[in-house]
Amino acid sequence: MMKQFSYRHEKEAELMGSMEAASKNACAMSEEELFSFAEFNAADVERTGYSNYSYWGSTFRAFLKNKAAVALLVLLGLLLLFTFIQPYLPGQYDPNIIVNDANGMQYRNVPPGDMFILGTNSIGQDLWARIWAGTRTSLFIGLSVAVAEALIGITVGVIWGYVRKADFILTEVYNIIDNIPNTIILILVSYILKPGVKTLIFAMCLTGWIQMARFIRNQILIIRDRDYNVASRCLGTPTWRIMVRNLLPYLVSVIMLRMALTIPAAIGNEVFITYIGLGLPVDIPSLGNLINEGRALITSPALRYQLVYPTIILSFVTISFYIIGNAFSDAADPKNHV
Amino acid sequence: MKKKKMMAFMLCVAMVASAALTGCGGKSGSTGTQAAGESSGAGSQKEASGAADSSDPVVYKRLYSSESSTLNYLVTSTIEEQRVGANCIDTLVEYDSDGQLKEGLATEWSYDEAALTWTFKLRDAKWVDNTGAEVADVTAQDFVDALKYELTPEYESANVQNLFGVIANAQEYYNGQVYNGGADDDGTVWPAMDFAEVGVKAVDDHTLTYTLAKEVPYFISSLVYVVYMPAYGPQLEELGKEFGTAADKMYYNGAFYLAEFSPQERQVYKKNPSNYDAAAVYIDEIQRIYNAEADTLGPEMIKRGEVDWAEISADLLDDWLSSEDTKNLVSRERPSTSYSYFYCFNFDPQFGDEYEPDNWRKAVNNENFRKALFAGLDKTKEVAVMEPNAPDDYILSTVTPFDFAYNEDGKDYTTVGAMAAMGNTFDEAKAVEYKEAAMAELSAEGVTFPVKVLMPYNPSVVDWDKECQVVEQQMEALLGSDFIDIIIEAGPTDNFLTEIRRSGKYAFMKCGWGADYADPETWTDPFYQSKGESGYDPGYKYGFMANAITEGTASAAAVQEYFDKVDAAKAITVDTNARFEAFADAEAVLIDHAFVIPFSITVSPYIATKLNEFDAQYAPFGVSRMRFKGQKVLDHYVSMEEYEGFKEN
Amino acid sequence: MLKYLGKRIGRSVLTLVIILTIVFCLLRLMPIEGYFPNFEKMTPQQIQVGLQEMGLTDPLPVQIARFFKDLLKGDLGTSRIYRANVPVTEVLSDKVPVSIKLGVLSMIVSLCAGLPMGALMARYKFRFFDKLGTLFIVCIQAIPAAVYYLYIQLYGTQILNVGLLFDIKNPKYWVLPVLSMSLNNIAFYGMWLRRYMVDESNKDYVKLAKAKGVSEGGVMFRHIFRNAFVPLAQYIPTAFLNTVIGSIYIESLYSIPGMGGLLVTVIKKHDNTMVQGIVLLYACVGVLGLLLGDLLMVLLDPRISLGKKEGDR
Repeated sequence: MMKQFSYRHEKEAELMGSMEAASKNACAMSEEELFSFAEFNAADVERTGYSNYSYWGSTFRAFLKNKAAVALLVLLGLLLLFTFIQPYLPGQYDPNIIVNDANGMQYRNVPPGDMFILGTNSIGQDLWARIWAGTRTSLFIGLSVAVAEALIGITVGVIWGYVRKADFILTEVYNIIDNIPNTIILILVSYILKPGVKTLIFAMCLTGWIQMARFIRNQILIIRDRDYNVASRCLGTPTWRIMVRNLLPYLVSVIMLRMALTIPAAIGNEVFITYIGLGLPVDIPSLGNLINEGRALITSPALRYQLVYPTIILSFVTISFYIIGNAFSDAADPKNHV
Repeated sequence: MKKKKMMAFMLCVAMVASAALTGCGGKSGSTGTQAAGESSGAGSQKEASGAADSSDPVVYKRLYSSESSTLNYLVTSTIEEQRVGANCIDTLVEYDSDGQLKEGLATEWSYDEAALTWTFKLRDAKWVDNTGAEVADVTAQDFVDALKYELTPEYESANVQNLFGVIANAQEYYNGQVYNGGADDDGTVWPAMDFAEVGVKAVDDHTLTYTLAKEVPYFISSLVYVVYMPAYGPQLEELGKEFGTAADKMYYNGAFYLAEFSPQERQVYKKNPSNYDAAAVYIDEIQRIYNAEADTLGPEMIKRGEVDWAEISADLLDDWLSSEDTKNLVSRERPSTSYSYFYCFNFDPQFGDEYEPDNWRKAVNNENFRKALFAGLDKTKEVAVMEPNAPDDYILSTVTPFDFAYNEDGKDYTTVGAMAAMGNTFDEAKAVEYKEAAMAELSAEGVTFPVKVLMPYNPSVVDWDKECQVVEQQMEALLGSDFIDIIIEAGPTDNFLTEIRRSGKYAFMKCGWGADYADPETWTDPFYQSKGESGYDPGYKYGFMANAITEGTASAAAVQEYFDKVDAAKAITVDTNARFEAFADAEAVLIDHAFVIPFSITVSPYIATKLNEFDAQYAPFGVSRMRFKGQKVLDHYVSMEEYEGFKEN
Repeated sequence: MLKYLGKRIGRSVLTLVIILTIVFCLLRLMPIEGYFPNFEKMTPQQIQVGLQEMGLTDPLPVQIARFFKDLLKGDLGTSRIYRANVPVTEVLSDKVPVSIKLGVLSMIVSLCAGLPMGALMARYKFRFFDKLGTLFIVCIQAIPAAVYYLYIQLYGTQILNVGLLFDIKNPKYWVLPVLSMSLNNIAFYGMWLRRYMVDESNKDYVKLAKAKGVSEGGVMFRHIFRNAFVPLAQYIPTAFLNTVIGSIYIESLYSIPGMGGLLVTVIKKHDNTMVQGIVLLYACVGVLGLLLGDLLMVLLDPRISLGKKEGDR
């Protein structure tokens, strides 16, 4: 479970590496390259400072070049859309309704077929409806965690980077939080609070933001005193404009990547927490609940469908976010726009 | 330079490796090699010999997923932890496989005219340690020392309540140590007391007497419980709190001794050749192997023949029965009549405001409201979650299960007196009638509809969550969601009963009660509340019915009637038939006024087993059912037909 | 260097003390059920006596001071519920060795498989092997461990013809648990090594070596691999710790008497002293892991000096 957090560092490391390399290259240019007389060119003289470079435009153009990622994004979008419209389609069962037959007894473990698209579980609830409701819950948890982590992380990170007094305290806080295995915190919090969606989101946000904050802080320290920023400040550019125009483009790729990878990580953590018995109550279907219920039936090949379908959805969501996240972060990196 | 780097790398590897090795070394040093060696020896013997030859050791192997935290049978009250006591410690009396009382460590017993002083003659028996070596004789003093240990507050025995009011001066002695002459919260003064005044004496090595505080009709049957088990006195003295923390921290005198106890790993029981009844023990070794996923892996291991027992969940059952390979591997557990489930109404709601406790308080005190729920609960459907094939076999119409006790004419207690009239409670038409009546009455009292009915469940109890979902849907559909709104909530997995039931954080919930002794009185314990000087004692904290009396609600008279009838029944001690009838009348009042909805006995699970459970000792209470003495390991898993055959015999 | 090391260890100890104090205070907020195995059936008198005996009625600072004093003596208290009245150290000393043994084996396997995989992926970047490796990494991440571990167990035992449960004495039984535990780390090491090697291969010294005529393979493994392994080495101790904690699935599936699921068990059982002991253990190993990681880097790469690294992990 923990491992997924570490994967997130990979892309960051790459970005940091290439930034350093870029600055080194600048130094490595020979004197001649740096200082040589420009030839007179009438057209250049006439040219104004206008460039039609648009950060977001370039980002999207770069992203669209990655066909696989675009395809997955479309699929993921459709999946997301479908989870919302599925309950309103005709002939759908409520995920929590137990369907009874003519004698008033439950349809237990009906295999996938005409009546139930993906079959029913052991008390006669429609698996198809439960999977979509579960996907909805899990994605909601994932998105909330990602957004919350990003909000807290960016805010704290900016304070951390800009306010020198806060640096010492926050660094110590970071050292402490970083030293305790994440799983332990996750387990402790889910245990102390009542099981529920809010608890899970809270537990997962509790430590995740610090990594984001630390990254933002490091970037701010690196970038804020670069010459062009100093120049900007001297020219009287307001701080927020420096932040948005000069800093954000550097950060956006990493923030997006982190968010994209946090979502599958959060869904994975939900499965883990459910496995150890501290997850959501049964009347809130989630992918973790469904997989956990399905696991108990693995020894019976005829019932294995109850495990396989939720797993497929989970795997698809994870892979999609992973690939889309990577593709987007490549595209959002301004150095790739040239 | 390169060399140096290489060296450094090697160093790291060596460091890590040595850490691992020292770690392993520590293991073999600390756990005691002799226990591990022994079990491996037995295991290989079994593999080498197969099961054909009758002189080979008979090994019975199963998985378990809930670990004991102590082996100390004197202090524990959980069934899992009493298993050691049940199999490794002999009791004064025993039950045979038909549920008839027979001699155990005591060969004969007698009581005086008032039935207050009981004298037991003990047979010769030996204490053995965890290697099976004899260490001492079992004497009457061991029973006295064990009781003294339980009555020492420092040891925190959970079973002391069973002794209070039964053994003369047990409560006085215990409280005397706690308050040491001071007063408790009620102002009663408890002077310190000498243990010699407590009603248990070793007259000589083979003669033991118990003196009771009052006449207790069920005393002899309660002797099969852990509370009256002996323990080797000098060892108790020496180990104190550490008694029973490990296999070598206790002695055994029963059919088996515990050769190995490695928590969350394995428990190995071996046949005790020194036991007086060793000829009736047919299993040489019991291996219990810990696996947190026992429910998932057990069935698969049965298919591969790796274990001798596993539970087959209702989900897997259909699949197993439809397959040729597996359909003859499944049978059932012997039905239990010692445990009863029933729905309780909470008269003292302590849950949060969002569930409208005051609204519930008004509603629950209305008899028609309770009766609407009473008649509206389709028990068949709920039990079908656990037992899809024959749910009706497990449904109860009384709190006391059938086959629990018989009066002197051999009549089942549940058919005596007013209980005879009890039938199925589920009646859709009546439920709707009651609902209409309740709605009319309650609207006048200002109750808002739908009434929120908080129904918590323990997520760690298999299938309870599913049952709740079924009940919610069934009852709301029948009674209308304009009448009740059942809210299912997952409670904590641990201390569920303390957090939820005992603290009144529920409105309507399935509760359970297990018999402590062979007398109908045991089934009044959850509901009856005695009146003290500072008001009603909460008792075992089930429905807090006495609140109706203290608050003077519409149901007060009915509650009072029940309490009075129980008091009257308890006063009858000699005439069993009259006593049973009086208790039956009391229970009928409880059910007629819908203070409780009788639900079901424990659904005996589907299992794959190589044991004939009908060979085992049987009693609806105490530890008899856990005993392996008398059971034989068959060479195949019991099929359903065989099971039915065993049941007939 | 020594001065830095001293400072560094000092800071680690301080961190530990803070963590423990926080956990200690948090646990005091937990319900007192956690101190009594038979709480439900106990009388209020019994509970009061018990609490006093354990010193829980004392003021919090006194309790904390006593806790650290006992800790210095190596006394972690006694378990109250998980195994009533057994010292925590004794419980742990039975379980830790098994987990460490399993963890070390799995680490060796994952290094032996993960490093070549990463190196080959970097060597054949964007070619078939690289894609295959990426597929493996993505799959390991995407399919929940709870699911694929079970499949490995069910089919693996049939293929190897072994029992479903673990047998500590039979080497054949070690194969599946160790393999399952390694999969995640194989993916982890493979991915990182590839990343570092790709970065490294653009550096000047590599170009120089190639220009000198060193063979492609020689450059890869003699130059690039060594330098790329250095930053990876830092993560090994932490990855090991995560493996041990993450072994909960494996240990419960195969009945391995390790400590993977121990924390969850004792938390669920409200056994406060055990929770404390285990958190202490994990925090120690965590702090130690970071320290070891740094040391490992210094040992592997003489260019890195600890003195400069202060405050920058």
